[in-house]
Amino acid sequence: MRLELRGITKRFGSFTANQRIDLTVEPGQIHCLLGENGAGKSTLMNVLFGLLQPDEGEILIDGEAVHFTNSGEAVRRGIGMVHQHFMLVPVFTVAENVVLGFEPVKSFGRLDRNRAREEIRQVSQTYNLEVDPDAVIEELPVGIQQRVEILKALNHNAELLILDEPTAVLTPQEIDALMEIMRSLAASGKSILFITHKLKEVKAIADVITVIRQGEVVGTAQPTDSEGDLAALMVGRSVNLTVAKEDVTPGEVALEITDLVVRDDRGLPAVDGLSLSVRAGEIVALAGVQGNGQTELVEAIAGMRPVESGSIRLRGRDVTNATPREVLDAGLGHVPEDRQLHGLVLSMSVADNLVLNTPRRAPFARRGSRNLGAVAQNASDLVQRFDIRTTSIQSPVASLSGGNQQKVIVARELSRPLTFLVASQPTRGLDVGSIEYVHRQIVDERNGGLGVLIVSSELDEVLALGDRIAVMHKGKITGVVDPSTSRETIGLMMTGAHAEES
Amino acid sequence: MGIVSEVSVATAPARRAHQGRTRSIGVIMGLIGLFTLLVFGVGSGLSAQSSLTFNPVNLSGTIPWHVGTLTLSTAWTNIVLALAMIALAVEVNLRLPARGVMVRFGVVAVLFFFALLLWAARTGGPAPINFVNLTAVLVGSSALAMVLIYGSLSGVMCERAGVVNIAIEGQFIGGAFVGSMIASTTHNFIYAAVVGALVGALLGLILAFLSLRYLSDQIIVGVVLVTMLGSLSSYLNLQVFTPFPQYNTGNLAPDLPIPLLAKIPLLGPVFFNQTGFFYLMIVLVALVSFGLFRTRWGLRVRAVGEHPKAATTVGIRVIGVRYVNVIVGGAIAGVGGVAFMASQGQFQPGYTSGLGYIALAALIFGRWRPSGAVVASVLFGLSVYLADNLQTYQIPVPTEVLGMFPYVITIAVVSGLIGRVRPPAADGIPYQRD
Repeated sequence: MRLELRGITKRFGSFTANQRIDLTVEPGQIHCLLGENGAGKSTLMNVLFGLLQPDEGEILIDGEAVHFTNSGEAVRRGIGMVHQHFMLVPVFTVAENVVLGFEPVKSFGRLDRNRAREEIRQVSQTYNLEVDPDAVIEELPVGIQQRVEILKALNHNAELLILDEPTAVLTPQEIDALMEIMRSLAASGKSILFITHKLKEVKAIADVITVIRQGEVVGTAQPTDSEGDLAALMVGRSVNLTVAKEDVTPGEVALEITDLVVRDDRGLPAVDGLSLSVRAGEIVALAGVQGNGQTELVEAIAGMRPVESGSIRLRGRDVTNATPREVLDAGLGHVPEDRQLHGLVLSMSVADNLVLNTPRRAPFARRGSRNLGAVAQNASDLVQRFDIRTTSIQSPVASLSGGNQQKVIVARELSRPLTFLVASQPTRGLDVGSIEYVHRQIVDERNGGLGVLIVSSELDEVLALGDRIAVMHKGKITGVVDPSTSRETIGLMMTGAHAEES
Repeated sequence: MGIVSEVSVATAPARRAHQGRTRSIGVIMGLIGLFTLLVFGVGSGLSAQSSLTFNPVNLSGTIPWHVGTLTLSTAWTNIVLALAMIALAVEVNLRLPARGVMVRFGVVAVLFFFALLLWAARTGGPAPINFVNLTAVLVGSSALAMVLIYGSLSGVMCERAGVVNIAIEGQFIGGAFVGSMIASTTHNFIYAAVVGALVGALLGLILAFLSLRYLSDQIIVGVVLVTMLGSLSSYLNLQVFTPFPQYNTGNLAPDLPIPLLAKIPLLGPVFFNQTGFFYLMIVLVALVSFGLFRTRWGLRVRAVGEHPKAATTVGIRVIGVRYVNVIVGGAIAGVGGVAFMASQGQFQPGYTSGLGYIALAALIFGRWRPSGAVVASVLFGLSVYLADNLQTYQIPVPTEVLGMFPYVITIAVVSGLIGRVRPPAADGIPYQRD
C-alpha cells in the first residue's frame, strides 16, 4: 500500500500538535518516524488511524483520498496499528482479541470460535508468528502479547502497519525478534511505519527516516547518518550522546549488601542471597533483563519491602528493614522505577512534590505548620537549576511531560544532602535531551564523591554510566565486570552464565 | 517452547494464592458445620422432634397426591446435616478443587438454613408450632429469589459493559409503582410488565446520559435515582393510591401451572406452578447468559467493559454499547419491580426494603455471571425469606441477624476473604475518546 499524508494539521485548542505534516510510505518500505516524546508522533498516528479527525489536510491511500471517522474504517482500508500500550483485553484469549470487531459468526450471531482459531492459525503460519489461539492474554509475556497485536492487524488484512514505540516494553532479545518480524513483513510487501525515539533501532531497521519536532516535519535522514546527526535533527541542537566521565578514585564502601534475600509479591524469593558493595565516588550499574529481582532489591534498599535475611548497610549504618523515613534520614536518595506510582503525587503541585520527602523539616515546616514561602522559594530555585519546564510551580505535576516529571524527582533527591543514591530506570521514557541531562546530574554527583547504584534494563545506559557493571539474574549477581566488557558477554551473563564461563 | 515455560511460571503463584483462598472458604465451611453440629444438633436434645410438611398452601385443594408429614429427630437429622457440611469442608480443604468451590459453599449455606429451620421448629423449644412447611418455604423464597435475579441480571447487563447500576433499587420501585397502576386498571400483567420495563429503561437512560455524556460519578447518580424514586413514589402513593385505592389493589399475579409437571411433589410448586414473571425470568437468564458468552454481541460488550479503548480501536462504538446495555438493564430491573409488586399484590412505599442492593450483592457474589447471580440470588432469597418469617418460631436470636447474611457474605467476598472476584476492569470508569 502506498500511503500519503498531505498537510495534516491537528490542533487541540490553541496548541498545534501537528503542523502541515507531509509523509509518504511506499509499499514494502520500513519508514521511521523519529521524534522526541511530545513531538506529535502519536497524535499523527491517531489521526491516521481514525481515532482523531485532522483539522486540515488529507490522507491518500494508493492515490485515493480517504476519511476515517473511526478506527474500524481505517482497519477496513488496510491500516493496522500496534499501540504502545497494547489494545488487548487481558482476560480474553488470543483468538477473542484477534477477531474482536471482525468476528466470524454462525446463526443467531453466535461466535464461530473454530473459525476464529483457524484464521489465526493460518495467519500465524503465513507470517511465521507462532502463538496459541487459546492462551489468555494476561498470562502471556509482553513480547508474545505484542506478537498478538501484530497478528490482530494482519488478520484484518493490514497492508500498512503502524508500530507505535513498540520496543519500549521489550527485552533486548524480544527487540531482536521484533526487528526480524518487521523485516520479513516488509519483504512480503507490507508497508511499515515505525515510530520511535531510539536512534539505534532507527539505524538498524529503517529504509527512510522522517524526523518531526514540535509537531512539524524538520527533515528526512538516511539510516547511514550518524546517531549524533539524527539526535541533533530530532532535538534541534547538537546533543552529547556519550557521558563524559572524569576519573575519580573511589573512596570507602558506601553501600554494602550481604547475602540479601527478599521475597516478591507472590512470596517467592526474588532476591536470593545477593551480595554487592558500592563505594563512594563510584557508579555501579546493575544490568539484567527485567523481572530478575532488580525491583525488589531497590525496594528493599529503600525500605519499601521487608528483608527476609541478610543485611544492608549505608556508610556502615545498618538499615536492614528500616522504614522508608529512617532510610531517608540516613541520607538515601531514591529515584524510583515507576515515577508516577512511587515518585510523585500527580495531583499535587510541582512545589509540593519537590519537598515530598522532607515536608516536616526546617525550613519547610516549623512546629507542625508548613512554611509555604520556603516551599515556594525551594521550588523556584530547583525549577531554574534543573531546567524543569512547567507553566508554574503551582501546576499539578501531572501536567508536566514525562521528562520534566523525572526532572522533578531528580531535583528533589539531589537537592538534599545524600550519602548514597539509588536510581532505578532513571531515563525510562525520556527523550534524548532529558537523558543527557539526567546522566550529567548523576555523573556530577558521583564526581562529588557520592556512591551511586543505577538499575537499568537499557544496556546502553549501563555501559555509559557504570564504573563497574553488576549483572543480575534470578536474584543473584552473576558477575561484576568492567564497562569495557563486550555487549555479547554481558548479554550472556544476563541469561545466567557466569563471567568466567563466558 | 519459551511460551509454555513462561506461562507456567506466571500462573503457578496465582494458583497458589487461589488455593489459599480456597482453603479459607473450606475452613469457614467447616466452622459453619461445627456450629451446626454443636448448636442445632447436639444442642437440640435427643428427645426433640421436628416435622416437615409438603402440601403447598395454594394448591392443596386440587392436588391428586398427598405427601404425609415427615417427623424427624431434630438432633440426629441435624447431626447428619452437619456431618455432610463438614465432609464438604474437608473435601474442599484436601482436594482444593479449582472450580465449584462457591457452589459447595452455597450447598453448605442451604444445609445450614435447613438445619436452622429444623432446630427452630423442634418440640420442647420456644416455638409454638413444631412443623416446617418445606414447600411453602421454597415457594416463598423463590419469589424473593426471582426478584433478586431480575435485579442482578440488570447489574450483569450494565456492569459487563462498564457502567455500575446502583439504581436497581430505584428501578424496582418505579416498576412496582407503575406496574400496580397498570395492572389495576387494565387487569393485564403483560401491559404492566411492558410499562414497568419502559420506566426502568427511562431510569437507565437517565443514568446512562449523566454518566456517559457528562461523565458524572455513576455511584452518585445511582444513589440519587434511588433516593428520588423512593421519595417520589411515597408522594405519588399519597396523592394517587391513598385517595383512589382501586388503582392499587388485587394485583397478585396468577400462577400458571404447567400441566403434569406442576404436580410433582415439592419441585412442582417451586418450579412449575409459578407466575409468568418467574418463567420470563428463566428465559432472560438463559438469553443473557447465552448472549454474553456465546455471541458476537457478548464479546463486544465484555470488551467494552474490560478495555474500552481496545474496543474503540477495532471500531466498536463504546458509548453506544453502554447506552444500550444500561437501558436494557434498566428495563430488566423495571420488570423485576413489577414482578415483586405482583408477588405482593399491590404497591407499598418502601417495601422493596433494599432488595435492589441485595441484588447487587448477588451480582458480586455471582462474579458478574448470570449463572453465578442465580445461585447467589437463590441463597440470598432464602436468607431474606427466613429473616422475614422465622419470628413465627420465636427463636432466641433476632431474625434481623439473618437479614445481614447477604451483606456479610458480600463483604467477605469483596475483601478477598473467601473466593476471588474480579469485576470487569473498566467497571464504573467513565470513558472519553481522547
